[in-house]
Amino acid sequence: MITSKDMDKSIAFIKSAFRQYYFKHSKNIDIPTRMEEREFGYKQFSSGIVRHLSFRNIGELLAILIREAPSDIYCSNAFYRFPTYPMQEKQWDGADLIFDIDAKDLHLPCEQTHSYLLCINCGEVLERNVNSCPKCNFSKLNHISIPCNKCMLSLKKEVMKLVNLLITDLGIKKNCIEVYFSGNNGFHLHILDNRFNTLDSQARADIVAYLMGIGMMTESIGVRKRPEGILIKFPKSGLSYGWRKRIATKLGIDHMSTVKLNNLVQQKGGYDGFKEELSRLTRESGVRIDPNVTTDIHRIFRMPGTLNSKSGLTKIRCDDLELFDPFIDACLLGENEVNVEVKAHVNLKLKGESFKIKKQTERLPLYVAVYLICKGIAELS
Amino acid sequence: MSIKLGTSDLAKYSFLNEASDYIRETHFEFEEFNRPEMKHVIDRAAERIEIEITKGLVYEKLDKYEIEILTFLVTLIIAKSIGSESILKKYSLFEAMRAEKYLTEDLRKERNNERKRLLLFKIFEDLFKINVDLDSKDNNLFKVRVTDYLTRAPNFHEEEWKLINRLVHNGYVYLDADETVRLIRSELTSLIYSRVKTMTLSNLPESIKAKVDDLRTKLKPHYEYRRYQPTHYPPCIKKALEMMNRGENLPHSARLMLATYMLAIGKSVDDIVILFHNAPDYNENITKYQVEHLAGNRGSHTKYSVPSCEKLRNENLCFATEECNGITNPIQFRSKLFKKMT
Repeated sequence: MITSKDMDKSIAFIKSAFRQYYFKHSKNIDIPTRMEEREFGYKQFSSGIVRHLSFRNIGELLAILIREAPSDIYCSNAFYRFPTYPMQEKQWDGADLIFDIDAKDLHLPCEQTHSYLLCINCGEVLERNVNSCPKCNFSKLNHISIPCNKCMLSLKKEVMKLVNLLITDLGIKKNCIEVYFSGNNGFHLHILDNRFNTLDSQARADIVAYLMGIGMMTESIGVRKRPEGILIKFPKSGLSYGWRKRIATKLGIDHMSTVKLNNLVQQKGGYDGFKEELSRLTRESGVRIDPNVTTDIHRIFRMPGTLNSKSGLTKIRCDDLELFDPFIDACLLGENEVNVEVKAHVNLKLKGESFKIKKQTERLPLYVAVYLICKGIAELS
Repeated sequence: MSIKLGTSDLAKYSFLNEASDYIRETHFEFEEFNRPEMKHVIDRAAERIEIEITKGLVYEKLDKYEIEILTFLVTLIIAKSIGSESILKKYSLFEAMRAEKYLTEDLRKERNNERKRLLLFKIFEDLFKINVDLDSKDNNLFKVRVTDYLTRAPNFHEEEWKLINRLVHNGYVYLDADETVRLIRSELTSLIYSRVKTMTLSNLPESIKAKVDDLRTKLKPHYEYRRYQPTHYPPCIKKALEMMNRGENLPHSARLMLATYMLAIGKSVDDIVILFHNAPDYNENITKYQVEHLAGNRGSHTKYSVPSCEKLRNENLCFATEECNGITNPIQFRSKLFKKMT
């Protein structure tokens, strides 16, 4: 049985590691633009979230970080006239366009090989799929993932897909796109293009649907349904760019291919079949982003340069995505060795070193110990 | 820019600043409306408003610019003096649609690209700060910045306006003349509405006052609100009815939802037609035809069903409350509510 004493010990240990990080690595924290107009918030270990805060400069924020050593720190994508007021009274004045790509939305095949279930009642870690905890019979089990290199490669590919769409279609300049490793199992994109700041949630939902490839009408590619059958009529604005071009290329057609497109529709079993195929093609080529993050214009979003309490890794900017290795570049905690009680067999690689950890008391470097405790797989012994 | 707006432009787009400049430069005084030769202008203005409000049609006549500029001014004065919010809203919408009609034609037919650009500049950039340019390859296509497009188009709700159904490239959305002009309908409407709202009238010339009194009587049945108490309606339907009661312009998808819902709960076609009475573009015959079509009395005789909650969510027409939990179509709302009550 997990006792509050065990928990307290582990939490105190993590807090101290986090405090040390903010003391040593304060330069990693990105100072947001228009800082005094943003809302800040933080989560404390084993207690709720504190929000509606405002800081005039990074010094004020750092003082809180070192004093409180919070588990997670957030900053609004929005700018407000009165950031500390209740939500309805803040007076919204725009918000950065943001994106979140999370490995859980990619449904990767490797996921099963590095997943665990954590019983939130007794803290038991289970390495196989079960409906309830065999130790205490509790049915609420949290899913834990230890991302692997394959996860990171797939995530990077998805980020590149998004960056390309933002540049070629939406005309956002490359230097206005900042890519961050989220600190756990995903990437965040912050867009520094003021033209998008004033867009409301509905407009952002339209961007999301565009990027994810949702809602393309058959008419957009030239297929119309008429009572007498199918009519092929290409749109006046043509098929030369954007989604129309991507789909036209996949179908092997251009604005002259009336007969070929008609045949393709028939091959798919008529209008409904073609519509389904189009939907499949657009979703396949679209980017898997979290729509809730982008459409939320009041979100407090993890602050760059701060630690993620799900892993102890840092949300950090990736200047060169291809070369970026989150298990090295975002792993910034100390190396002193500590004893931890590990609750499952785990293989992981951090700071370039591979660890094959057994289900027993192990002496591990601080950054590995913090990672395992944050994941819920270990406790301080 | 070396090319200037022509007088015919001022006749069609009398809301432009250049038209106001013209009135200022001619030192026109309000009292001059009492002169006999102004009767023609005042009659035209009254006719224009009457057609817009009672028939729900765009006023098609186009005269010389001197006449048109003054006619427009008189319509503004009349709309202000009648003092009805629903008439003002409807008037503003139809004035916007009139400008829209001319602008679409001009952008389609004009061969001179410089003149096309001037029109785009004067109307889009000068009035509404929207940068619109011609496509370098096809001068029948217009390019609008993605952000300008997204500030307006999502309010149209129809699927064809979703960004994914547009040609998007390098930060621009490519549109034809109709679509480009459609983008600013609501801004044109607001521009005309605010012209009336901010106007101060001290002494109304007698000639116009008589017309205003006459129009008030004629239009009375058209601007008295018919309010419907939305009882036991799901929130999406309530919202649509509230908008309709305020004389606001409901998108096509919301009208379809409202009509199919009312048909599904057993309202007659005539009762449903009356519901749309306050719509700014209301036309009884067209509305009746469309509702009959949805009821399956016309065309393919297919009765249209109420759109699902999911479809309404995608069209931003869903305003779900806790009472909606568990339903997948607005039509289930009533039975769920009644089940809970019994």
